[in-house]
Amino acid sequence: MRYRSQRVAYPYFVVAMLLFGLQMVFGLLAAAKYLGPDPLLNVLPFDVVKAIHTNLLLVWLLTGFMGAAYYVVPEESRVELYSVRLAYIQLAIWTAMGVTAVVGYVFRWTAGNKLLEQPFPLKVVIVIVMLMFLYNIGMTIRASGRLTTTEGVLVAGLACSALLYLPALFEFDNYTVSVFYRWWTVHLWVEGVWEMIQGALLAYLLIRLSGVDREVLEKWLYVIVGLTFISGILGTAHHYYWIGVPRYWLPIGGFFSALEPFVFFAMAMYAYYAMRRSGLTHPNRMALHWTIGSAVFSALGAGLLGLAHTWPAVNKWTHGTLITPMHGHMAFFGAYVMIVLGMISYALPGLTGRGEESRETSAGFWAFWLQVGGMFGMTMAFAAAGITQTYLERILSIGYLETQLKLQVHFLMLVATGAVFVVGVALYLWDFFFLAGRPVEAAAARAGAAPAGSTAG
Amino acid sequence: MTKRAARLFFFISTLLSALIFTVLTIDSHRQFPKLTNAADIDERVIAGKHVWHRENCTNCHTLLGEGAYYAPDLTKITQQRGAPYLREFLKDPSRFYSEARDGRLMPTLDLSDQDIDDLIAFLGWVGRIDTQGWPPRPILVRGSAIPGVPAALGVPAPQASSPDPVEQGRAVYHATPPGCAACHSIVPGVNIVGPTLAGMPATAAVRLKSPDYRGKATDVEGYIRESILNPNAHVLTGPTYSTDGRSLMPADYGQTLKPEQVDQIVAYLLTLR
Repeated sequence: MRYRSQRVAYPYFVVAMLLFGLQMVFGLLAAAKYLGPDPLLNVLPFDVVKAIHTNLLLVWLLTGFMGAAYYVVPEESRVELYSVRLAYIQLAIWTAMGVTAVVGYVFRWTAGNKLLEQPFPLKVVIVIVMLMFLYNIGMTIRASGRLTTTEGVLVAGLACSALLYLPALFEFDNYTVSVFYRWWTVHLWVEGVWEMIQGALLAYLLIRLSGVDREVLEKWLYVIVGLTFISGILGTAHHYYWIGVPRYWLPIGGFFSALEPFVFFAMAMYAYYAMRRSGLTHPNRMALHWTIGSAVFSALGAGLLGLAHTWPAVNKWTHGTLITPMHGHMAFFGAYVMIVLGMISYALPGLTGRGEESRETSAGFWAFWLQVGGMFGMTMAFAAAGITQTYLERILSIGYLETQLKLQVHFLMLVATGAVFVVGVALYLWDFFFLAGRPVEAAAARAGAAPAGSTAG
Repeated sequence: MTKRAARLFFFISTLLSALIFTVLTIDSHRQFPKLTNAADIDERVIAGKHVWHRENCTNCHTLLGEGAYYAPDLTKITQQRGAPYLREFLKDPSRFYSEARDGRLMPTLDLSDQDIDDLIAFLGWVGRIDTQGWPPRPILVRGSAIPGVPAALGVPAPQASSPDPVEQGRAVYHATPPGCAACHSIVPGVNIVGPTLAGMPATAAVRLKSPDYRGKATDVEGYIRESILNPNAHVLTGPTYSTDGRSLMPADYGQTLKPEQVDQIVAYLLTLR
């Protein structure tokens, strides 16, 4: 950490981690409800728990992205942040919005639109917060006049996220049309501009962690982002199967989403290449784990498991079954959770003014492997449940309820492996809050001399 | 490849993809009215859509296969269950399902009669959207394979193209619409929502002789036909069959089915001895 104002990233990470912890509570609750019976049926039914689980994920990831951007941008542009005060105000409003949304859902204040459940006033707040963020970042870059490719891609990804949230503000009387535009936000976020953010953070971390030439990595970043949009924009079509849109979206969805794995394999190759060149010598081994983990896990979860049910002839049978959360859980974890945890792990020594080796805690490594193992197990449980459901309910036309009863053993696996994952998260939080230390006033000065700063170039 | 070339690749491919996507979006808008029967979206359908969102239905159920996976898909539910049943179900789901038997139960929602009618209108409209043949086979809420009796296994798929009226009737019976199989099993002793139709001819003969019989049919075939076209001619009192002397079966099959389809179903049911 070279610039005092980078420290504003820390409270962002704190909020992100607290919400991550809360997300786990609701995730476990939802999994337990699959097993049933549900003693909370009339207090906290599944729909509320599920909405909170997914909304907390989106909010804490965005909090992490914004914190990461506040850490990366001053360093890349070589200037203090335009306004630290604004960043704090923004975080306060953002957190208040998130908490209000969660409490609102419990009391059934919801827009009832999958992943975009935020009631309209809160949607407006989200837009305002995004604008505050972009203004702050924009003014910082303007003040320095220096914009690297890495931060350019990161900021463009966040700016496009704000832009693509706008369709969510509109309501359509025609349900098909409203589903059509809901995907402009949801799909183009997670399989478009968020991949820009992931790619940029990956590039930033690889440059810092491997010391490979920036020019080379940034060149390939352009290629990765280019591939992302070739496959991602027209790949939106794989959400346009069977919902009342023209038939030509079927072959388009099949073809372009079949290209999506290339993006993730390119990212994995990218990380592999960088690490081979440097020989994994960076002392912050925790950050290395999460960074490489993100590249590998997103290739599996988003790339391979997405491809598993994206072809129309397959999707015809699997559409709307537990195959979707199989892909969804591993994809979100690999692509976005891991990259944010990588970014936090990387930034912590600088923020707290401790040496890189301070991150060598066994809690930190257990957190990594328990999360990886737990998520792998959950994915397997969802896969077994999803395949069985597809066969019994969709192919044999056996009733939904009888089929779900036959999936109990897989739900048991889901709860068990989910619990392993949650222990991993708890250890990460323990490490973050109690072992990593707190940011200190002198941190900037001390970290300036630390090896991370000097290899950064 | 130089960094410049890579940047050029990024800009051109992104712009080109966005352009194609925009053109296809405009064309989709041109086709939405026909594909979704947009002319049928009246204020009740819109009000029903608001109920759908307000009650957060999509975070348990799927509709058009989208939503959560904790409760059944509702795309064709009005064609499978019909409005009379859905009205009663939405007032009190626990009358029809129990956690002990089905594993899951829908909480009772605080819906007015108007809300319920609007929601059914909305779901009815959704059921008629052109979904390109999805789902390829009916997605049932319950039924087909009750423990020990996997009715779906070992039974050949219905052949709608067969010249045999019985075989055609079997195809109609299992299709959605009319969705007969969604509520009536053909397995003895298995009552899904309506009573089982196993042994229908014998059952019909018994009911015709019963002093309680209020319908106009005089023979078994007539009884079966009457029960399809006018479910209220002779109402059975089962836990999920009727409310206040009115059957929960749709009463409009006389309008929604062709006369020959009714003949075919009757022919098929007569074979369920």
